[in-house]
Amino acid sequence: MKEVFTMWSKTKMVVLVALSAGLYAAVLIPFKGFVLIPGITEIRPASALPILLGLLFGPAGAWGAAIGNLIGDFFGSLGIGSFFGFIGNFMFAYVPYKLWTNLGMLKEDEKEPDLKSGKKIAMFVLVSLIGSAACALVIAWGLEVLGMVPFGALGSIITINNFIPSVVLGIPIGIILFPRVKKWDLLWTDIMDSEDTLSGAGISKVGGLLMLVSVLFGLIGGFLAAFGVGQALFYSGFGAGGEVGSMGVIIVAGIGTAGLIISSFLQTYNKAE
Amino acid sequence: MDMFLYVDNNSGLHRLDPRTKLIIMLMSFTVAVMFMNIIILALLMLLVIIYGGIGRVLGNLKRIRMVLIMITLFSLAIWTIARDSSDKVFIFSLEGLFYGIMIALKTNTMIIAGMVFLSSTKIEEISEGLVKFKIPYRGAFAFATAIRLVPMIVATSYTIIQAQKSRGLDLDSGNLLQKIKKYLPLMIPTIISVIRSTNIFSMALESKGFGYSSKRTNYLFLILKWKDYFMLGFGILLLTAAILLKTNTEVFGDFVSQFPWSDFSGKLQWSL
Repeated sequence: MKEVFTMWSKTKMVVLVALSAGLYAAVLIPFKGFVLIPGITEIRPASALPILLGLLFGPAGAWGAAIGNLIGDFFGSLGIGSFFGFIGNFMFAYVPYKLWTNLGMLKEDEKEPDLKSGKKIAMFVLVSLIGSAACALVIAWGLEVLGMVPFGALGSIITINNFIPSVVLGIPIGIILFPRVKKWDLLWTDIMDSEDTLSGAGISKVGGLLMLVSVLFGLIGGFLAAFGVGQALFYSGFGAGGEVGSMGVIIVAGIGTAGLIISSFLQTYNKAE
Repeated sequence: MDMFLYVDNNSGLHRLDPRTKLIIMLMSFTVAVMFMNIIILALLMLLVIIYGGIGRVLGNLKRIRMVLIMITLFSLAIWTIARDSSDKVFIFSLEGLFYGIMIALKTNTMIIAGMVFLSSTKIEEISEGLVKFKIPYRGAFAFATAIRLVPMIVATSYTIIQAQKSRGLDLDSGNLLQKIKKYLPLMIPTIISVIRSTNIFSMALESKGFGYSSKRTNYLFLILKWKDYFMLGFGILLLTAAILLKTNTEVFGDFVSQFPWSDFSGKLQWSL
């Protein structure tokens, strides 16, 4: 988590935050009219970007995704949901780059996100799924707490709406983008000091695993709790009736969200330590 | 076409400090979230509209009218059918209809409050206001720069589209899905063109002393004036009244008993 704050001392990272945010917002805005849940979410091909921005630019990509989503909300949907959208979109880019290094599924010499092997593409699909789920968990939990939108419906719609573009568009864009970003020395691991990059060793591995478990527990457990109070997934979640603001959903999804945040602080073990 | 909502007027609302406007917007969000009551939410919406009227920015309602209409129709359609009720006629219920009205009022009020804020506050004022709220300068700078970059990125993508069209790419034929499929590959040169500027942008900033000193001076100097204190005081008064109404179950119960159809706060299912 340390790198999320120390990155602000690097001018190049600050610029990458601004460019990532501008880019994400610029792709989000034209699709604001393709509404899925009015005032809450819409069709988002731009969801292809946060995972890539996270893997390439690390914490700058995560801040960029958060700020870019907020700017997107400025075009007609700024509301209380924007607060959870900020955190959710931060997690959308943050979780993938953390898990890429800290889940321990890639060897040290395989950690460049160039997507050149089947294993790396499989890993990309996995981190995209967990990143999309993390974003959905935070936003759906927040709006369930406020009693605004059913967790089951919103959580499932956001997960799929984020995941599909991340994989379908993200993989080809990533394959084209990586060599250029690497050539221009813009990978976050090349910009940040080595003590602020990730090693995937020690407690960080535990943190990575806890992050994965927290997201899955929060989202799947939240869905199960939501079914218990009459909610359902996707648009049937609105048709099913079910009450919004159920304490069971709030607690289960809240534990997942808390686990997601706590696990971030465990992943601070770096190369220099 | 101007992409942003800001309306350049010299109104009392425009002259307020951005911090005041930000706090008032957050207060309106808080009250909207606190209540599930049609009458209170309608009053809040009326207040927000009057507030926007002071700034002569309600013309922007036209620009977001589709969002507002869609929220209203979606809420009414979904909740009239979906809400559990004993008085259902076929699949529709009157209670569901009122619930839909309440949700539409709540969401639209927040969106209108957001619109009023953005229509009366310049980007640099928002950025400086954030710094005054102790948000680190570099964060506020990234935020303001990103907003300014959006039209530039859109213009770049437009140039790329025109260049491809001049080379014979047919973007106009086909159905919506086919069009999206044709447009999406054009994202790649846009992304590359934006990212390529990172190094030059960083050098330009550093050559101008970005980050040289933690103490910065600003061309825009924000001071809270009596009008700001008055508006903040008025806002705090309303928020306090709302909290007192919400927490005083006797008074709130009396109010609700007058208009039982309008309130849904007691009907939340807090169950495991």
